[in-house]
Amino acid sequence: MSDSRTRLLGVVALIGLIAAGCAGGAELDTLEPQSDNAREIDTLLDRVLAIAGVIGLLVLGAVVFMAVKQRVKTYDGDDEFPEQISHNNTLEIGWTIVPAIIMVVVAVLTTVVHFSINETEANAYEVEVAGDSTSWEPKIVVVGQQWWWEFRYYFTEDVDADFLGDPRALPPADIVTAGQMIIPTGQEIELLVTSRDVIHSFWIPALNGKRDARPGFFAPWEISADDPGVYFGQCTEFCGLSHSRMRMQTIAMDDADFQVWIDEQMVPQTTPAENADDPVSRGASAFIANCSSCHLVEGVSGDEEVVASVVSQAAPNLTHFASRTTFAGGILNTYTEDGEWNRDDLSLWLREPEAVKDNYANGLADGELPRGMPNLGLSERTISDLVAYLETLGPRPSDEIIAATEVE
Amino acid sequence: MAIIEEPLALTSGEQHAERPLGVLTRPQADGSWKDWVSTVDHKKIGIMYGVAAMFFFLVGGLEALLIRTQLAFPENGFLSADVYNQIFTMHGVTMIFLFVMPFAAAFANYLIPLQIGARDVAFPRLNALSFWVWLSGAIFLNTTWIVGGGGADCGWFCYSPNSGVTFSPTNGVDFYAIGLLITGIASLVSAVNLAVTCLNMRAPGMSLFRMPVLTWMLLVTQFLLAFALPVITVALLLLLFDRQFDSQFFDPEAGADPLLWQHLFWIFGHPEVYIIILPSFGIISEVIPVFSRKPIFGYSFMVFSGIAIGFMGWGVWAHHMFVSGIGPISVFAFSMATMFIAVPTGVKILNWLATMWGGKLNFTTAMLFAVGTVTMFTIGGLSGVTHSLAPADTQQTDTYYIVAHFHYVIFGGGVLGLFAGVYFWWPKVFGHFLDERRGKIHFWTMLIGFNLTFGPMHVLGLQGMSRRIDTYSSGFGFEFWNLVSTLGSYLLGLSVLYFLWNVYKSKKDAPNLPPPGPDPWDARSLEWSVPSPTPEHNFDEIPVVESQDDWWFRKYNIEDDGSVVRVATAEDAAQKGDAKGVHLPSPSFWPLVLAIGLPLIGYGVIFNLWLCVVGGLLTGGAIYAWVLEPVDDPDADDHGHDDHHDGHDPDGELAAVGAGDNEGEG
Repeated sequence: MSDSRTRLLGVVALIGLIAAGCAGGAELDTLEPQSDNAREIDTLLDRVLAIAGVIGLLVLGAVVFMAVKQRVKTYDGDDEFPEQISHNNTLEIGWTIVPAIIMVVVAVLTTVVHFSINETEANAYEVEVAGDSTSWEPKIVVVGQQWWWEFRYYFTEDVDADFLGDPRALPPADIVTAGQMIIPTGQEIELLVTSRDVIHSFWIPALNGKRDARPGFFAPWEISADDPGVYFGQCTEFCGLSHSRMRMQTIAMDDADFQVWIDEQMVPQTTPAENADDPVSRGASAFIANCSSCHLVEGVSGDEEVVASVVSQAAPNLTHFASRTTFAGGILNTYTEDGEWNRDDLSLWLREPEAVKDNYANGLADGELPRGMPNLGLSERTISDLVAYLETLGPRPSDEIIAATEVE
Repeated sequence: MAIIEEPLALTSGEQHAERPLGVLTRPQADGSWKDWVSTVDHKKIGIMYGVAAMFFFLVGGLEALLIRTQLAFPENGFLSADVYNQIFTMHGVTMIFLFVMPFAAAFANYLIPLQIGARDVAFPRLNALSFWVWLSGAIFLNTTWIVGGGGADCGWFCYSPNSGVTFSPTNGVDFYAIGLLITGIASLVSAVNLAVTCLNMRAPGMSLFRMPVLTWMLLVTQFLLAFALPVITVALLLLLFDRQFDSQFFDPEAGADPLLWQHLFWIFGHPEVYIIILPSFGIISEVIPVFSRKPIFGYSFMVFSGIAIGFMGWGVWAHHMFVSGIGPISVFAFSMATMFIAVPTGVKILNWLATMWGGKLNFTTAMLFAVGTVTMFTIGGLSGVTHSLAPADTQQTDTYYIVAHFHYVIFGGGVLGLFAGVYFWWPKVFGHFLDERRGKIHFWTMLIGFNLTFGPMHVLGLQGMSRRIDTYSSGFGFEFWNLVSTLGSYLLGLSVLYFLWNVYKSKKDAPNLPPPGPDPWDARSLEWSVPSPTPEHNFDEIPVVESQDDWWFRKYNIEDDGSVVRVATAEDAAQKGDAKGVHLPSPSFWPLVLAIGLPLIGYGVIFNLWLCVVGGLLTGGAIYAWVLEPVDDPDADDHGHDDHHDGHDPDGELAAVGAGDNEGEG
């Protein structure tokens, strides 16, 4: 009976595996919901997994039972046959109806959750924008492109597909950020998810399921968080070369911090005074000379968003870059574990972006547009100046957020 | 169309000297390799399908091991992102289109005529054409590594616009599109051929509801193929036009909606899942009764649930698109439809269990694989139910949880079942057993390797590991289970090598072992009533079928009190296979020539349109030659007396094979 014993061990091992999976607690875990929607989904899954687990164990148990009880070594010399039962209509109709009833139960559970999480009408939220109190219909436009995410905040406009138009030429927004989306805690936020090139998928597992970002379409979705914190995500629709390197985060702040964040982001940056001995000043000039044809720092290299000469026509807006804790499509941190400005990774990225993240930006054929950040062949001195300058594009985020950005 | 109503009369073998009208003659069997390339025998074609598919199983398996090696450790640099993306795309394409489908076709070709009591398929030359076209497409697809600038890098479902020239500038996607168009022609031809065979070539008394469950499932599969392949053909042509001729079917810049591709792909892609799984369901429906010593439980429920799955399989495609943004009402409808396809599937599982219930279970290797299929498919089916919950799917889709699910379905439910068939019918096909002891080692290593490889992926997916990522960072908790999965995949790879060793060793040892005889497993269907290996003409006499499981009832009788009494030994009841002069369709080279033309047209579309002319002439010429060649060679020794349709009857093969003298009805 060793066969059946082995199989029994297999079943036990499988249950162990599932249990181990539930005990996770890692950043992308789908079983640690931190919002209403995610919790509803998780509860639904738990219930159905329980039903499925019982059915699975019954089937496996029946097989093991029969393997133990009914096994014969050989048919040689054995002309005894078991009863030749070919059918039993009552039984068969029964086990057509019973699974159907189970599925009806599952269907009802599903229907309730499905329509609940697709209800994306969010309540208005009072914010102060440029000194005026305004009632924000909390919507954030989420734009994917190879291989990073942009988040756009419009506080006063009525944001819909008509207003937004072409994802490649979106109307100017109050705040444009990249890699990290900031939301107020405990507030349902409506997302309009789109793409500037291929299909991506926006997913913060702790906060909700995912939604594809598809060019030419603004997919409605919703997000919220129970508690302040940093929540991780990963693009989940295969989007080409550096799909694995396309990550994002959502940071939930309490109402006061969120208002502070808005206030800070609304202030344009200022150009440092010219001073050849000051690395920050040299960095600002280097930024305008080398970077500003694709990247915007509002107040320094202009006020209008730039049409970058890459396929998606967009590069991350770097205004208040140092207030973010991640860059390069969510894979590198702007601050080290100790809270220091992450000079090493920033220099590495400026020196050789293709070594951090594969791209199609160098050695292209004539007329072919880059996808990803090209290697500009910057000198070490320019790189160090740029790193120094970028640090001034603050304000610096809180220590809690910096610490929470680290993946343990 | 000839419908066979009586056993084929044996022919006298008289010679006929008159040359046919056509200028061409047909090749004759001479025992050399030419027999294989010119064969129209469904058994030889089945074997060639099996061997070629097994080769591509090794190719796809090697790709799988490269994937798992890259993912063994976080931030591993074993493969670059670019190469990784090509490998996982080609792994999926190879395993689905170049392994599972043709491996199932091997069973369909070999077994359908035998199970329904026919001497060959309805259109033997078309059957050869299917194989050669499939093989030419398969080779074409893989030459992308050499001349296409690498493999396609868009994933096997190749979503637009990522599949467009801008985002995938090498020729990989062109090879993908044309390669699948060519193999699609093969499947379509084969589908029509085998469906006609099932419907028209059955032996007297073999009514539809006496057909073995395997033949039934294969028949349903052929209908799925016949309706699904045109859809993917349209999609692939549009993609090819976009890439080669600047059309804008899928270009969002020009106002196209990339969802068009997704709908077209999955309207094909979901029935494709059933195309993959139903043959395996059929195989284990043959194996489990034999090794339980009981008839299949609920034959009609088995057949109708298979048909129901076939129909419902058309109404669930958008469950692959729950997060694509198709709107909550569509998502809801497809979510509900998907849930209820679990019902006929569940019926099948329960009926297999009921077949075993109370039976005498003999765990041969074939039975082990069959029971392994039932259990592993149950796991895959249940995880499938968790995807049908559209809200939960928004968490699961495009994660490793999905990867785990479909490998439990396709490998656990499909491939394990196909291996059950390999061990079961091996003696029938090759005249010797595959060694049982080694077979059992093969089974257990494969089952354990399989569960170690794909079991942990459930956990990884729920932990949030995305699909199709070439690497992952440490800290997300992915390290341990990825390493387990990789080690499992090596064990799985070893089990496949061990299977090949078993094939080699069993063949080598065969002369010293007793031959299996016509019916080594005490089985139930007609293929076991002829000697092993099957004689070229299949049946000395076309059997007259009196019941379901006709062959079993020639050996046994069920008394009024329900007890089983043997009435004849298998050796006595079986045919001797010594009939002489049976009229068989003549070989032909033209299917092969026609098939060679198609990849030339493919290369032409990509590289130089003049090559299309060469390929077109070859293909067109082969079609003409095919039409003009006589139905059979009058000089052939074993030629019958039905010369009066020589060269005049393009459908004559059907008549020649199936009905002999009755082709006047054709």
